[in-house]
Amino acid sequence: MPSARNSGHTMSGASCKANGAVYPASPAMMNSVKKPKMEQIQADHELFLQAFEKPTQIYRFLRTRNLIAPIFLHRTLTFMSHRNGRSNAKRKAFKVDDMLQMVEKMKAEQESPSLCSHLQLTFTGFFLKDEKPSSNSENEQSSVSLEVLLVKVCHKKRKDVSCPIKQVPTGKKQVPLNPESNQTKPGSYPSLLVSSNEFEPSNSHMVKSYSLLFRVSRTGRRELNGLVNGVANENIDVVDAPSRKKRSSSHKDEAEGTETYVAQMTVFDKNRLQLLDGEYEVSMQGIDDGPVSKKRATWETLLDGKRLPPFETFSQGPTLQFTLRWTADTSGKSLAPVAKPLSTRNSESCGPMETRTSHHRTALMTVKESVSTDIQTKKEQASCEPRQKLRIFYQFLYNNNTRQQTEARDDLHCPWCTLNCSKLYSLLKHLKLSHSRFIFNYVPHTKGARIDVSINECYDGSYVGNPQDIHSQPGFAFSRNGPVKRTAVTHILVCRPKRIKPSLSEFLESEDGELEQQRTYVSGHNRLYFHSDSCMPLRPQEMDVDSEDERDPEWLREKTATQLDEFTDVNEGEKEVMKLWNLHVMNHGFIADNQMNQAIMLFVESQGAHIVRRNLCRNFLLHLVSMHDFNLVSTATIDRAMVQLQQIQQDLPEPEMEQSDQTLASAGACNGSTLLLSVGKQGKRTKCGLTD
Amino acid sequence: VAASMCPDKAAWRRRVKSEYMRLRQLKRLKKVEQVKNLFRSNREKIEEQTNILNAEWCKLRIQSIPLSPSAGTCTVEFGFPGFKAQTIAVRPLSTVTGMPFMYSWSPLQHNFMVEDETFLHNIPYMGDEVLEQDEAFLEELIDNYDGVHGDREGGFISDEIFKELVEALSQYSDHDEEEEEEASTAKMGKTEDEKVMRRSSVEVRDLSSSKRIPSDMIFTAIASMFPYKGTTEELKEKYKDLLDPASQVKLPPLCTPNLDGPFAKSVQREQSLHSFHTLFCRRCFKYDCFLHPFHASPNVYKRKSKEIRMETEPCGADCFLLQVEFIDQNVLRSQRSRRRRRQPRPTSSGVPGPSRSAEENKDGDSDRETTSSSEGNSRSQTPTKLCPGDDDGEQKACCVVQWSGAEESLFRVLRGTYFNNLCSIARLIGTKNCKEVYEFAMKEFLIHRVPLEDGGILPQKKKRKHRLWAKIQLKKDNSSNQVYNYQPCDHPDHPCDTSCPCVMTQNFCEKFCQCENECQNRFPGCRCKTQCNTKQCPCYLAVRECDPDLCMTCGAAEHWDSKVVSCKNCSIQRGLKKHLLLAPSDVAGWGTFIKEPVQKNEFISEYCGELISQDEADRRGRIYDKYMSSFLFNLNNDFVVDATRKGNKIRFANHSVNPNCYAKVVMVNGDHRIGIFAKRAILQGEELFFDYR
Repeated sequence: MPSARNSGHTMSGASCKANGAVYPASPAMMNSVKKPKMEQIQADHELFLQAFEKPTQIYRFLRTRNLIAPIFLHRTLTFMSHRNGRSNAKRKAFKVDDMLQMVEKMKAEQESPSLCSHLQLTFTGFFLKDEKPSSNSENEQSSVSLEVLLVKVCHKKRKDVSCPIKQVPTGKKQVPLNPESNQTKPGSYPSLLVSSNEFEPSNSHMVKSYSLLFRVSRTGRRELNGLVNGVANENIDVVDAPSRKKRSSSHKDEAEGTETYVAQMTVFDKNRLQLLDGEYEVSMQGIDDGPVSKKRATWETLLDGKRLPPFETFSQGPTLQFTLRWTADTSGKSLAPVAKPLSTRNSESCGPMETRTSHHRTALMTVKESVSTDIQTKKEQASCEPRQKLRIFYQFLYNNNTRQQTEARDDLHCPWCTLNCSKLYSLLKHLKLSHSRFIFNYVPHTKGARIDVSINECYDGSYVGNPQDIHSQPGFAFSRNGPVKRTAVTHILVCRPKRIKPSLSEFLESEDGELEQQRTYVSGHNRLYFHSDSCMPLRPQEMDVDSEDERDPEWLREKTATQLDEFTDVNEGEKEVMKLWNLHVMNHGFIADNQMNQAIMLFVESQGAHIVRRNLCRNFLLHLVSMHDFNLVSTATIDRAMVQLQQIQQDLPEPEMEQSDQTLASAGACNGSTLLLSVGKQGKRTKCGLTD
Repeated sequence: VAASMCPDKAAWRRRVKSEYMRLRQLKRLKKVEQVKNLFRSNREKIEEQTNILNAEWCKLRIQSIPLSPSAGTCTVEFGFPGFKAQTIAVRPLSTVTGMPFMYSWSPLQHNFMVEDETFLHNIPYMGDEVLEQDEAFLEELIDNYDGVHGDREGGFISDEIFKELVEALSQYSDHDEEEEEEASTAKMGKTEDEKVMRRSSVEVRDLSSSKRIPSDMIFTAIASMFPYKGTTEELKEKYKDLLDPASQVKLPPLCTPNLDGPFAKSVQREQSLHSFHTLFCRRCFKYDCFLHPFHASPNVYKRKSKEIRMETEPCGADCFLLQVEFIDQNVLRSQRSRRRRRQPRPTSSGVPGPSRSAEENKDGDSDRETTSSSEGNSRSQTPTKLCPGDDDGEQKACCVVQWSGAEESLFRVLRGTYFNNLCSIARLIGTKNCKEVYEFAMKEFLIHRVPLEDGGILPQKKKRKHRLWAKIQLKKDNSSNQVYNYQPCDHPDHPCDTSCPCVMTQNFCEKFCQCENECQNRFPGCRCKTQCNTKQCPCYLAVRECDPDLCMTCGAAEHWDSKVVSCKNCSIQRGLKKHLLLAPSDVAGWGTFIKEPVQKNEFISEYCGELISQDEADRRGRIYDKYMSSFLFNLNNDFVVDATRKGNKIRFANHSVNPNCYAKVVMVNGDHRIGIFAKRAILQGEELFFDYR
């Protein structure tokens, strides 16, 4: 199953040196510095590593998180569209009922993937590079003989020294040697079928694993020619004969000058299917003298007695390419897709055998594609990149100095999250958008591309989650009763910017160093607000209440009352009317002279009953007359206000009884004690003092 | 004697000192007690609030903090063998991010004027280790003030203490002399006649009892202790002075008895209305407002009075109008001296109604009004036309109806407004019918006619308009930064010329000025029909908000209750501010953030605070500079807005050289106010900045 593979280029800041080729930074500079400065350089280097370590760790963490719980799928991004294998063509014909059918079908398939099907192998060709095909390509024979054996390794029984092994020959085929991909017709490739019966548990031996043994014999021309003719027609079918092991163990070709190459691939191991449908390229090993005993066999790749890096064998050594399919029908040979010479890296690594396909060609071609769309000269430079290999050099800059260079060959995986971007453009775009803690600059390079990586000093690392979380008191996370409004932290963005054609030039370092205008796509309240009076965090449900909507805060209301109380030469009735009026004005915020008539009527409406109850009618009349003296109200307003007040007076429930009591009480409160109060209270001000 | 006086003097000095100390100690204790009480009552208030909050919090469900296995356990061991070690699992609390520092302040939506503080209220706290330069700063600071709050009496002998000291010492001296006497007899020291003299003097003093003046000895001692307080004689005089007012009957408070109360007295109109007239702020429509320390009294305002009209229709069957046709004659007969301040204006428009002669009468009446009320203003008691006693007598004589003091006062008040409309007056008084009112009025000889209507249509409007533009331009040109506070002008004798304070300060006359409506210096308002947000609008051009009493076409005088006004030049007065939010700033300390997006030039908020004088701002600024945090904002040449103690949320907006807001001092109905406007379109949630410079 496709799982995240560690690409080997995954890099952590601290362990940069361990991966890839490391070149010492600016050797010229290093030489010029004298020894005492070495310490300083080391310290500097340490700082460099520290600077890169933190973001790298963050991105590693994010990578894992995105694998477990992805926020988005990369294939939905426009620049990653090539990762999306599906088309929407089927959508139109889609019916809901189809889903059930599909699921049922899938289940049926899953239940017996191996038992009901045959293993179909279609061979594309046998590749051997060390020969010179150009010299005698015309008349040379172009095929080799291939024998496929099914090897069954059984469980050890008590007396057995080693595991019993059975070899079942499944067939022989002539396979083209070094074919060119476009020459042969797809239907003409030789193919083999292995019956599923072979994989069923057989007689007493419990089979531990099944594997395919490929044996390629390459003889001299004539002999081979004969063989080709002979075997091609033969078309040996799979023989259901476990007893014929003797025959399978022997080599068929004894002709002189025969070279034999073998390779083995596990199909089943401990009842687990190892080979899935797909295209395979198997690296083969030459056998010089006779059959190789299994015990001696090692899987190191040897070429001319030298060890080669594992992937070199795919470009050099003998390889066999084929397509593997598990198929239900035995007849449909032509349906078998042909293994293309290029395949993705997502193919499995199978058991001990390296079955990787080389993919550098893919990469190169895609680069060419993207580059060809570009018009700029610099792009053309890029297009002149070597076709053979795309090398990407990551150059880590610190304080404007190159500190380290890491090379990734044939690799368009993101070094931080191992995402296969497949294209250089996609890689750069991905790096820029997903790893904004760094700055990436693309520099065209003769062997591929150089990416300058530096720390983004302007990175905005502010918290973008729910601001409430920052300040929520511990233990109060679930303290709400019932539904509660929350701050929206995610936004639906509908943005259809003009898409510029993808071009690598957008990653080049801009000459004037001008920063791309950082337009904020999301504006909003992505921070925690506080109450201005208490400094307590503002909860989302309190967002819409503006504390300043109150024109008359409580302290001001109290203040106006105390200020009036301070007067020693204003009587209690006057004070009370003044206070009521002040509160009324403060509450409504009157600003114009021509509002006053209305203000008076409002006052009577809201405070009339209070005025009557507190026995302040005459003082209120004085207030009205005073307002009239100031030219603010008309006599008509005075009349109307007083009529309304009298109306209220009459309408008051049990007015006489209550009022007489109240009158006395209030008279006692605000009149009888006038002198006492004005003396008793430490009045500080007199109204006369104000006019001077 | 001299020899004996010397130690005596020293003893007295000691006594003065100890007495003084004792008194001061007493005072201090008293004060401490006061402070304690205040503190206690404050604590109670706080506790009340805390309890409310706690009750709220109790309603929340609290999730228990989960045990984290990594944190381990905490063990407390005891030294005593009897106690077992206690072990409990550690529950780590996650850290809660801190927030910036904030001094408490009071919310305010309108400026608030405060007086200069001549006493330093508290010595600013400069951190735990006061640096040397800080000390120098503090000394300098204290020098700026008359003193520091709290140590007013340090080394300072107030009148009150002085009095108490003398009294304490005089009692002391009586007692002391006797002791001394005994001591001297025992010592055989003094001659007999000396004793006699002494005793007699004591007796004399005793006889004069409470009114006596203590012996010179005391004053001499005090004078020697506090030489800067004057000589012995001076102190003695002072003591007498201090004693005097206490013994005198306290002046009756200038408090008019409550008209609604049982002790209401019959007083003149001016006295009844005095409180209302003096405390009312014509600009804020409030009594004793927070912004304008001086309020003009209303009598100088000319009355529109066009509405005053003689009622000709009788109010009912018993109406006095049905009885009396001789009112006019009566009025004509009532002779009073007339002074005329102004030349009668040519009444170009035909004044409907009364005849010429009546008009002159009215004119005279209004003049009288003006003079009498201005007298009332200056608090000289207006001589009562009818003393209450006479009134009563007359009432008893001719009418059966009893008038209470309140009714009489009320009648006089209303008569000044309603004149001869006795029916209305009667209706408003409520307890008397118009016939009774008429009779009372007759008695008071106060039947007046409607005062002159202010005529005069303005013929020079066109000319004024031209002049207005020129004036605005002129102001813009030469005023540079010289903007002075507006104070309504009041110079009844001459029109607004170069001597008018408004003209001198290059302010327009406002509707609050006492000058004519046709004053050349008045701002006429705009007649825009658009939004008043371009220089096409004279108000906008003159950096004024539209006046709802002048600009009648732009919408500034409409839609009082809605937030949508067509005129965009009246936002400050209407308080059409944006919802602001408070959060830690991205720059420094706290910041102001806007809730909803705004357009360019839109009004955001008013920068409110305490209105202080420039001098006060200098004093406060010194301290704020030291704290590196200042909320001072220059308003005009006279005043500064200080949002340190009182303010609104915009006070947290930080400074930026590339801001998204700008501040503008706008004349809003006579007050300079600071508006903060958007310099560009601002998105929601953006932090607000403006250029402080």
